[in-house]
Parts: sequence; structure tokens; C-alpha cells
Amino acid sequence: MSSDIERRELFKIAAATAYAAKFGVAQEPQRFFTPQEFLVVHELTEIIIPTDDHSPGARAAGVAAYIDARFAESLDTEKKELWRKGVELVSQASHQMHGKAFLDSSPAEREAVVGRMAQNEDEPKSPAEKFFVELKRATVHAYYTSSIGIHQEMEYKGNVMLNQFVGTELP
Amino acid sequence: MPAPAEQEVDLNQTYDAVIVGSGAAGGMAAHVLTSHGMKVLLLEAGKKLDIEKELKSMEWPYDHPRRGGLPPDSHALSRNEYTFRKPPYAKGLPNKHVYSYVEGWTGADYSKNIVVEEKDNPYTGSNYAWVRARCLGGKTNIWGRLALRLSDYDFKAASRDGYGEDWPISYADIAPYYDKVDLYLGIAGHKENLPYLPDSLFQRSTRLNSAEVKLRESLAGMGRVLTPYRAGVTTDGLKHNKYRSRCFGRGACDRHTGGCDIHAAFDSPTGLIYPAMDTGNLTLRTNSTVHEVLVDQNTGKARGVAFVDSRTGKSYEAKAKVVILGASTLESARLMLLSKSRMHPNGIGNSSGHVGHNFCEHVMGPSVTGLVKELVGKPRTLDDGRPAGFYVPRFRNLAERQSNFIRGYGFEGDSGTHMFPGHADSTPGFGAAYKKKVRDYAGAFISMGAFGEVLPRYENYMDIDPNVKDRWGIPVLRFHYHFSDNEKKMAADMADSAREMFETAGIEIVGVDREILTEGWSIHELGTARMGSDPKTSVLNQFQQSHDVPNLLVVDGSSHVSASCQNPTWTIMALCWRSCDHLADQVRKGEV
Repeated sequence: MSSDIERRELFKIAAATAYAAKFGVAQEPQRFFTPQEFLVVHELTEIIIPTDDHSPGARAAGVAAYIDARFAESLDTEKKELWRKGVELVSQASHQMHGKAFLDSSPAEREAVVGRMAQNEDEPKSPAEKFFVELKRATVHAYYTSSIGIHQEMEYKGNVMLNQFVGTELP
Repeated sequence: MPAPAEQEVDLNQTYDAVIVGSGAAGGMAAHVLTSHGMKVLLLEAGKKLDIEKELKSMEWPYDHPRRGGLPPDSHALSRNEYTFRKPPYAKGLPNKHVYSYVEGWTGADYSKNIVVEEKDNPYTGSNYAWVRARCLGGKTNIWGRLALRLSDYDFKAASRDGYGEDWPISYADIAPYYDKVDLYLGIAGHKENLPYLPDSLFQRSTRLNSAEVKLRESLAGMGRVLTPYRAGVTTDGLKHNKYRSRCFGRGACDRHTGGCDIHAAFDSPTGLIYPAMDTGNLTLRTNSTVHEVLVDQNTGKARGVAFVDSRTGKSYEAKAKVVILGASTLESARLMLLSKSRMHPNGIGNSSGHVGHNFCEHVMGPSVTGLVKELVGKPRTLDDGRPAGFYVPRFRNLAERQSNFIRGYGFEGDSGTHMFPGHADSTPGFGAAYKKKVRDYAGAFISMGAFGEVLPRYENYMDIDPNVKDRWGIPVLRFHYHFSDNEKKMAADMADSAREMFETAGIEIVGVDREILTEGWSIHELGTARMGSDPKTSVLNQFQQSHDVPNLLVVDGSSHVSASCQNPTWTIMALCWRSCDHLADQVRKGEV
């Protein structure tokens, strides 16, 4: 049995590496998440804010790497634990719903997993639902403060020198 | 333009005046007295910061390692902590640094050296969200910049509704000094000719966006006003001040707690203190925490102050013919209560027993957010290249009493696009549809929150805690302060009227918040050493001079008789200018 588990673990790491190569995950080393966890978070953030015909999504904006860096230095053990457990819950839900690992699932299957976690966003009850709220908040913050989020997605026009205020001049 | 060179401090010299505190009040006193040729020593408890390097107003979030956030060993107190815990709030927290709630806003890393470390500066008693800034310029480095005048609706409010005391001045007394402040520091705004919110001598106004124009037009039909935010910001520039630039509408004002690194927004160092240093009459000593006003035992008059060096802990005395307190409403009162002597057993200037009492401010919390549907999906606009959005002046109890409470409230509001789409957190869902919705709705929201007058009550007070001391061994303040029925009724009306105004304008209601924020949230504390004509019921005369000790002045918000509902900074500075002109005149005539 133990060798079986080992084989599966080895396969996962190999898969993670292949996945990383396929999706061009940032080269910087992960510090809080394990490589496997990182890939799951990376994929989750992209599902929340995907690339569309308007602009690149969370993956291109390096959202998972930013979240990882914050947790690497965070002293909030409670929140760190919530995230580790949360990633594990995603994996469990995937096995339950589709009988396979999250990263081995099709895009539609992965979205279905996230969809189930997002069900009670306003009043999250289960640990998985609570994790989704945390995950989304962190993703939103990291994405919309990134260069891609500010300039390409939101086309923010401010933080420039203006000679005249924009808007309606009152009589 | 770099800060001017500092003069050497000479503690053997008797200065014409020593000023405690370098914010709006202390800075203004320094400006006025030095302009009259008086030799002035200015003591500030905090440090002198290289402020442009602190603020970095135009840094993009992604160029900061934590997108402007605090380091992981730091903690900003939350709304819940202020409610469910008791002060001292930092006690027992594991974090290396604890700050007040304003450091929980965006860009906190840029202002963490401006606000105080809560661990070093505890206070006790009832719940109170006390925000303090200890550095040159104090809170003016990060203030909200709404610069409003008071009127006789405020100064004579007691005569109008029978509650409390009138101010010992009327609008005609202070109007020329509001004018002076407007011209010396610059203010942007639009003339509205309202008797209850007098116009300033405005520079070029900021502009309203389409959502705000829509609300303004609708409010006009209700007999109410929406005016562009009256900002203590120079939009046309100030020829007489080489330290400040005019506003370039950069949009960095979107960052809260923010500051303005080109000083278009007024701050005390570049607006008042550096020009005062250039007269050659001002000596500045930072890191000087004053803990006592010293008294001449023969005359009972003030002879100077005692202070500790905030870094070394060493004790010093400074001698002066006049002592001027501008340490903030609560710190000036604390200092008076701490200054006990044989001739002033209850604290200096406190024969009335009113020091620390009649403590008031603004009640906050109720707010409304709405959606302007026709703006959904419209091309991106630039809405935040301005100090702030708009102001809705008070409309309750003006011509006649029309509510189940007395006095009134105004709203501060904002709308349109911001650098960070705040609605992204509250927009449900995920995926491409979510992303598009956040994008499409970005410029379509409008919101406003109220600031209401808290009545001054003798029962609302602070005193000295006999057991707790700060990092420098100075006894701390203990709060005995709660909102009353009038504030609660007013808050309910704020929420109702906010909803009504948006609905009338055809703005779809997204949310109405009815909850009152913890006492102190407005950062507009006032009234702990009020002015008045009767020395038995007031601490200061109309020139902010102690009834008991004529060479002691208290020139900050503690002198205010009532809070009104207008933000106090411009009034603090106008009153201080008037008092210091009067003082200089008295000094010239040998009367002090």
C-alpha cells in the first residue's frame, strides 16, 4: 500500500511540474503553499477572474504568487490554516463530485467544484463555503491592484497630472 | 522645495511664546505670532518626517510589496475591536505594532509613521476610537480636507433651540478671519449663498460627475443642496508659498489614509510652519512631549512648560512669556488637568471644573449606496482626479424645528470610478460574467455618509486615569463618553433621509447602513475647554485665553462651544488667527 501512495504522490508532483510548464506559472519559488497547493490556488484564482476577450485574468496577473508571498510572511496562523484546509477541501470536493483530482479534471468540472463552494456567498456556512469567500476576497484584492487589473481590465485613467478637473462645471 | 534650516533651540532663553503642538492650531499660532515679530518656540511631541518619502502619493499599488498594506507584524484595530473590547485596545495584542482603525484603510503603509503607536499611547475608560498623529503637522498630514465655515446657526444655536450655550462670538467676529485663512491657505469650492453654510473665498472648484449632477438637480427640487466638496486644497496655487504646488487632479487622493506629497492639500508644515520659520522668528523642537504647564508661584501665571525628549526620555523646561496649547482637543485638556499646582489644584485654568467636560464631536455611521443605472456599461471615465466628491449641507431644523431631535447633519459623498473597484467584493459570483459585471458597473455607484452634531453635555468628559501611564510615564486619559438619545434619533433620520434623497433622484438603492460607528470615529473631537463669557461655566474667553491664567491660550478644537455638524479644521484656524492677533495686540500694549 505504502508504495502505491508513494507512486501516486510522485505522479502528482510530475503532473504539477507538467502543469506548471503548460500554464507558465511564475518561476519564483513558492514559500507558503506546497507546489501542489500552489497549482490548485493558481487555477482557482483564474476560475474566479479568468482571461476573457477584454483582458488577461488572475493567472497572468500573478495573483497566486502574490497571495503566496503574503502568507509566507503572515503571522496569522488561523488564516493560514484556513487556506491549507481550504485547498484540501477543494481536492476532496473534486474527488467526491468527479472521482478525480482537481487538477486532473476538465475546466467544466473544476468550475463545478468552485460553483458548489460559491453557493452561499452571502452567508457562508460550511468550511468550503467560508474558504471560497476568503479565496475570492484575496483574489479580487490581488487582481484589481495588479498592473493588469488596474490598466488593462479596469482601464483606470487616474493617477496622472491634469491641468483641469474632469466633469461638469457648475454655472 | 526642501524644508528650511532649523534654528538652534536655546532653553536658557525666555521666548515670547511657546506653542505646544504643530497641527492646524499650533501651526496657525506659529504663523500669526511670528508674523507679528514675536520670538516663538514650537514644541511637537512627534518626529519630523521626510514627508514626501513617506507619502509617495503617486506610487502604484503593484509597485509596493504589499500593495500599500502594512507589514505582517502590524495590526490596525478593527470596528469590532473598538466595540467588543475596552481600551486600552492594544493591551495584550501579540503584534509588534498596533495602530488605530485608519491604518486599516488602503495605503496604510504610507501613513504608519504619521499616526501613533497605540502600545505607547494607551487610554482607558469607555469605548472610543481615538485617532492621533504625532509628527510635525499632526493630523493635517492625513486630514480629509473638507473645509467648511460655521454660521450663526451654529454660534447662536442655543438661542435658537434652547439647548446648551451660545458661543461668545458671532459670525461677524470670525468672518474676516475665515477670509484670511482662505486666502493664505487656499480653498476650492463653489458659491451657493447659503446662510447656514457661508461661502469661502474660493479658488477654482473641483467638478461634479454626471451622477452627482443628477442628484444635485433632484435635491434642488427638495430645497436641498449638493455642492462640490469644499476642499482645503489650493487648486489655483499660492504665489506667497514656495512649499506648496497647486492641485494637479492626480487621483492619488483616492488613497485613504492619504496625504498629498505636492502639498496642494493644506498641511501645517508646508502651509504654516515652514513659512513661519522663514521669518527667522520660529524655533522648532520636535520629539518634545510636553507634560506640564509650569506656573509662577507668585503670580499664578504660566511661565513655560516641562517636557521630555520622546527619544531619550530626558526632562527639560522651556521658558516663555505666553503658553499656547494646540496639542489637540483631548491632549490639550489632558495637559491642563496634569498641570496641578498650589494655585491651580484642579489643573491649570480649571477653576470652573469644566476642563475635559462638554466633550463633543460628530456622530457617524448611517450611509447610503446607490446605483445610477444609465451609467452601467458606459466607457470608463476619470472621476477621482479630485480631492473628494461632494457635500450635502445640513437641511434639518434650520428655519424651524422639523424633527424629533435638535441640530443637524450633513453628508459627504463620492461617486464614479476609483482605482480599486470597491464593489468587486460585494458583487456575487465568479468567472467571466462576474468579471464583466465588475467592469461594467465600475463607474455607476454613488454613496454618501453623514456627519451629525453631537450635543455637548457636561456628563460627557475625560479625566486622568490614576493608574495607567504612557511610554513616557505620563498619566493617560480616561474616557466617560457616550452618545445620547438625540444622536440616536438623528442617526435614524440620517439613514431615512439618505434613502429618500436617492430614491427621489431615481437612484437605485444598493444598501443603507443604519448602524452608528463607535464614538470618536469622526476624528472631530471638540469642546473640552470651551469658550464663554462666564468664568464659572467656561474655561476660555472669546480669544481662547484662560479666564484664570491670562497668559495661557488654548487654540485648538477644545475651545469650541458646540460641534455644529461642519468639519472643524477651518474654524480652528480662523479662531486661532483671531486670538493670536488679539494676543499680539495685548503684548504690544503690555497687557499680558
